[in-house]
Amino acid sequence: MKRTALITGITGQDGSYLAELLLEKNYRVIGLVSQKYNIGWQNVEQIKDKLVIEDGDLLARESLERVIKKYRPEEIYNLAGLTFVPASWDQPTLTFDINTLGVSRILEIIKDHSPQSRFYQASSAKILAESQDPYSISKAAAHGLVKALRKQFNLFACAGIMYNHESVRRGPEFVTRKITLAATKIKLGLEKTLALGNLDAKQDWGYAPDYVEAMWLMLKLDQPKDFVIGTGQLHSVRDICQIAFSHLGLNYQDFVTIDQALVRPAEVNPPVGDASEAKKTLGWQPKTSFKEMIIKMVEHDLKELQHG
Amino acid sequence: MAKTALITGITGQDGSYLAEFLLKKGYRVVGVTRRTSTSNYDRIKDIVDEIELVQGDLMDQNSLVYAIRDAQPDEVYNLAAQSFVPTSWNQPVLTGEFTALGVTRMLEAMRLTKPDAKFYQASSSEMFGKVRETPQNENTPFYPRSPYGVAKVYGHWITVNYRESYNLFAVSGILFNHESPRRGLEFVTRKISYAVARIKLGKQNKLQLGNPDARRDWGYVPDYVEAMWLMLQQDKPQDFVIGTGEAHSVKEFIEAAFAAAGIPGWQTYVEFKTPKDMRPAEVDYLIADSSQARQVLGWKPKTGFRELVRIMVEADLKREKNSA
Repeated sequence: MKRTALITGITGQDGSYLAELLLEKNYRVIGLVSQKYNIGWQNVEQIKDKLVIEDGDLLARESLERVIKKYRPEEIYNLAGLTFVPASWDQPTLTFDINTLGVSRILEIIKDHSPQSRFYQASSAKILAESQDPYSISKAAAHGLVKALRKQFNLFACAGIMYNHESVRRGPEFVTRKITLAATKIKLGLEKTLALGNLDAKQDWGYAPDYVEAMWLMLKLDQPKDFVIGTGQLHSVRDICQIAFSHLGLNYQDFVTIDQALVRPAEVNPPVGDASEAKKTLGWQPKTSFKEMIIKMVEHDLKELQHG
Repeated sequence: MAKTALITGITGQDGSYLAEFLLKKGYRVVGVTRRTSTSNYDRIKDIVDEIELVQGDLMDQNSLVYAIRDAQPDEVYNLAAQSFVPTSWNQPVLTGEFTALGVTRMLEAMRLTKPDAKFYQASSSEMFGKVRETPQNENTPFYPRSPYGVAKVYGHWITVNYRESYNLFAVSGILFNHESPRRGLEFVTRKISYAVARIKLGKQNKLQLGNPDARRDWGYVPDYVEAMWLMLQQDKPQDFVIGTGEAHSVKEFIEAAFAAAGIPGWQTYVEFKTPKDMRPAEVDYLIADSSQARQVLGWKPKTGFRELVRIMVEADLKREKNSA
């Protein structure tokens, strides 16, 4: 019989890649969306006929209970959330209601109605950072809940502490995509300059399709366990510019300007993901290099802008 | 100076037409949208450069306070809702939070930050449900038949209550069904126009529908957004029923749609079956008496039923011709 997986946040970057992976593995994939008749389909356009889409919202317990009881999925991946850090300063209450209480709602339902379901929580490396924002705190609290409820109620619930992961489906407000889109537009003569903050800010950036595989592997273990998922390498905003512009035959220094309003203090020791435990236990490691990823994004944006 | 309008639900059918209407009148238009990583901006893609979008959520009081405080609107149109009736049975609590309490959050935000703004609440003929009289006017008692209808009744009364308690210019427009080429495919009218266009182009050959005898008072959205605006241009806040006063059956809609596409013998293509999304409780014969709107606002629908069907079918034909 087919295994059933429920994915929250299925129309987002990670959810759509995970859905593709699970469909390849012959799962029945249920996607939870807050209004099924009014969603952005772009990321799941290619696979939408193969998905089962259900209405539900992390804010509405009864909608989660209905869907989980209806399918009693073997695997539940909670990838939905308010994910853009700056926005969490504007909506701290909502950020907590979705990112933290949403997790406890699902875990309570699993405990009471579907204890055999395995649960994956998308934790973020931002929970390890020193100075925090409402997004990171909401994710840290959710992470704590997963650990506590797992222990207390003996649930198969685990969290992937994931460092940044990007792809052609990243939203344009994130710096990687912002740069690949702008470089492409400059190449095509649609824009002239690109304003950025600190070019020397460094992060550990991985490739989203590699990362969703780690999620799936985590739910295959005998015992639930949390894992750090990252590439172990740091790259700067400048590196992104260099790769993106030079792939288009341009010199980034001719086009990139510094906007003081966008500058944030660079971290002295930017966190970098040590995924050695994941490699040892899951046999997981990143497959796609940073450079390959940025080039994939540039080529995608070029194709999209040229052909509408 | 240009007036400012703030619209919730701007990415929806009514919101997008209202935004276009207000832009033509020279308004500055600010739209409130929920943040999602993949948004559905299809309906506003042509005007997105002319409007301002701010983040806000009817579930989140503070985001609404900020939106109104920062935009300083002269007019506030609350069009956001969980609007598909069958969905409201799947998500009754969320429907209440969003469609009912969301109105209170908007009114509170306005009362606290811009009490002299004018407020429009999108009420619905679904509030009449099991109708107490036919046709329905502003004094007809409500008897909603779905969690959506119940939530809308709350939204209506809290609007009236804030008007009377705080002396706000807050009005409720009780709009009967209104359709357009931007209607979602889950609604029966659009389901028909879309299928007819595809049948015409040889892309499909069957159309499955529910009850052919269900009757509704269907109008055309661009006419209706004008009524919303007119209500906020009055000296006194007052609620109005807006509709065509004519009811047509699903079957008539089908006939008119096939005729508009020039396809004879619609019966060959259409099959009637009990739908999956069957309403546990149906609404009755909804038909609007909007004589008060005619008298006070000077409003009447400009677009007749057959014209509406033709517009929808032609838009879908055009769209489907251009898509592979």
